[in-house]
Amino acid sequence: MTVDQLRSWITPPMLVSFAIFGTLPFWIREVGLYPYLGVEVLIFCIYALGYNVLLGYGGLPSFGHGAYFGIGAYAFGIAQLNVVSNLWLCLLAGILAAMLFGAVVALFISHRRGIYFALMTIAFGQMAFFIASKWTSVTKGEDGLLNIARLPVDFGFVSYPIQRNGDFYWFVFACFVVTVIVLWRVVHSPFGKVVQAIKQNEARTAFLGYNVVLYKGLVFALSCAVAGFAGALFAMAQGGAFVQVMNLQWSGVVVLMVLIGGGFVSFWGPVLGVVLYFIARDLLGAYTETWQLWFGLLFMLVVMYKPEGLAGIWQGIVHRKQRPRTSATVHLLAMLKAR
Amino acid sequence: MDLVHLLLPHLLNGVALGLLFALIALGFMLIIGVMEVINLAHGSLFALGAYFALSLMTPDGGLRLGIAQVLFDLPVGWRYVIVLLVAPVGVAIVGMGLEMCLRRTYGKDPLYGLLLTFGAALVLEELIRLAWGPTERFIPIPSAITGGIAIGDLIYSKYRFFASGFAILMIGLLWLFLEKTPYGALIKAGAHDSEMVRALGVNLTRLRLFVFGFGTALAAIAGIIMAPIWGIRPHVGVDAVVPAFVIIVLGGVGSFWGAVIAGLLVGMVVGLTGAFATDWSLISMYILLILVVTFRARGLLGKKSILEN
Repeated sequence: MTVDQLRSWITPPMLVSFAIFGTLPFWIREVGLYPYLGVEVLIFCIYALGYNVLLGYGGLPSFGHGAYFGIGAYAFGIAQLNVVSNLWLCLLAGILAAMLFGAVVALFISHRRGIYFALMTIAFGQMAFFIASKWTSVTKGEDGLLNIARLPVDFGFVSYPIQRNGDFYWFVFACFVVTVIVLWRVVHSPFGKVVQAIKQNEARTAFLGYNVVLYKGLVFALSCAVAGFAGALFAMAQGGAFVQVMNLQWSGVVVLMVLIGGGFVSFWGPVLGVVLYFIARDLLGAYTETWQLWFGLLFMLVVMYKPEGLAGIWQGIVHRKQRPRTSATVHLLAMLKAR
Repeated sequence: MDLVHLLLPHLLNGVALGLLFALIALGFMLIIGVMEVINLAHGSLFALGAYFALSLMTPDGGLRLGIAQVLFDLPVGWRYVIVLLVAPVGVAIVGMGLEMCLRRTYGKDPLYGLLLTFGAALVLEELIRLAWGPTERFIPIPSAITGGIAIGDLIYSKYRFFASGFAILMIGLLWLFLEKTPYGALIKAGAHDSEMVRALGVNLTRLRLFVFGFGTALAAIAGIIMAPIWGIRPHVGVDAVVPAFVIIVLGGVGSFWGAVIAGLLVGMVVGLTGAFATDWSLISMYILLILVVTFRARGLLGKKSILEN
């Protein structure tokens, strides 16, 4: 494999993120936080990165994504408790269940646009939420599906236990690495380019001969599958599957994380947003009961004054350093040169 | 006859609920029309209306101004009338403040407006929790509209009759306002093409501010009327805003009577399932929505709108 080929798989920001999260267990206690926070952050990073393929790249806002996260968690738990206690098969069950449900929903919504699309995702998300809270024989309703174990990572010839948070962290980190590389390849594949074209102008993409309804459905199902994957991991992290993650507010929180981080302008926006959210929760939460108030205000300010989010602020700083001249002077110089 | 006895109270409940849903949805739709913003904070403003009413109705509602004592000395009936006039205005002012924040998102991706109001909903809910506490509250209502009323051999809650009547009155007034006054014409024109309205010399900034305030005041009125039926909780807004979405899509974005019909449909479906299959009452309206929208993509009476781009 040549260097160029390698670069299209692994990029410098990726290495930075792997370096930060890969060393996290060694320094997280030093900065006054705890390892389980790292687990939560990574799981929500997976969830948010998958969501951003839909929102940031496809321009398709889903306000019911918690449903697929929750379905992944329940499917993982049900598979583990009733069918087979093998980590890989249970994870697969979580991913497939969320993806299948997403695909069915996509049949109803993928020919819709804009606000209609958003409203229909709310309707389906709420439906899933209420079904999960009422179908007590399967989901155990408000109590939650308990006793979900962190199954050992079994490679056939060797098997690692991941019951302890420290060990579990490494497994989630590996999942994060795989998700990042896969999603990076997806958004830079021809498929990803068509999805981005749909965001820019759906009608024109259709005129070019692409089946936009199919592409929208596929990207929706993909992001549901990733949400299901994250949900399955979250079920392991919490030792249970609970219905709260499926409600409208939690579905909104993932949108909030993605946007505050800058999912519209960067692949890495969601990661920044998730980190900010959890740090804000722990730091503000330590001082005040009403940290959501302050986070909500911060979020409003970001949307008003810097809608490109944290990644947008970062890009602004980098660009200013790279291009000290204003674009007007650049134009002027170009004109002078042309003479 | 037995079937009528069995069904009628639940149908009436459904109608009362549906009319109030329609009122919330109409305010929501005015805002979508003129500003192209889905106001996710609409439910929180609905809740805020109920809490403002609580503060004005009872001394333990958190209002500690000297002047308020004059209010609390009034008979409960008069207080209720004053509340119905004052609380929506208070909420409209909050709504106008929100519109001023929203201004920065006009002309950008409509998603930003939606997100800003999502943030506002979080903030409002927390503020409510801070000001009035997290527990469920009830507001007193005049004795003239409490108790039961007998129709033949059926006894039915007077308050729900009042709620239905009041909602019909408000919907009627709103229709007259939109159809028969020059201001209504401006709002409709603004919903059709706001840039053209501006080009014709109308102060669009003021129009938007007014419409946002007006839409949120309607939510507040619905909140006050709904308060004795649902009780008041900080997160009651979600229960109000989600049916409003459903009704808008079901009835068709931009259609006044579509929203009213859809409101009644949703109310009756929720009312009937609530009575006979409680577990289904919460998802019945989504099933209704999906059934209708699968066959009629723009809802019952919807036309093609700018929101689809």
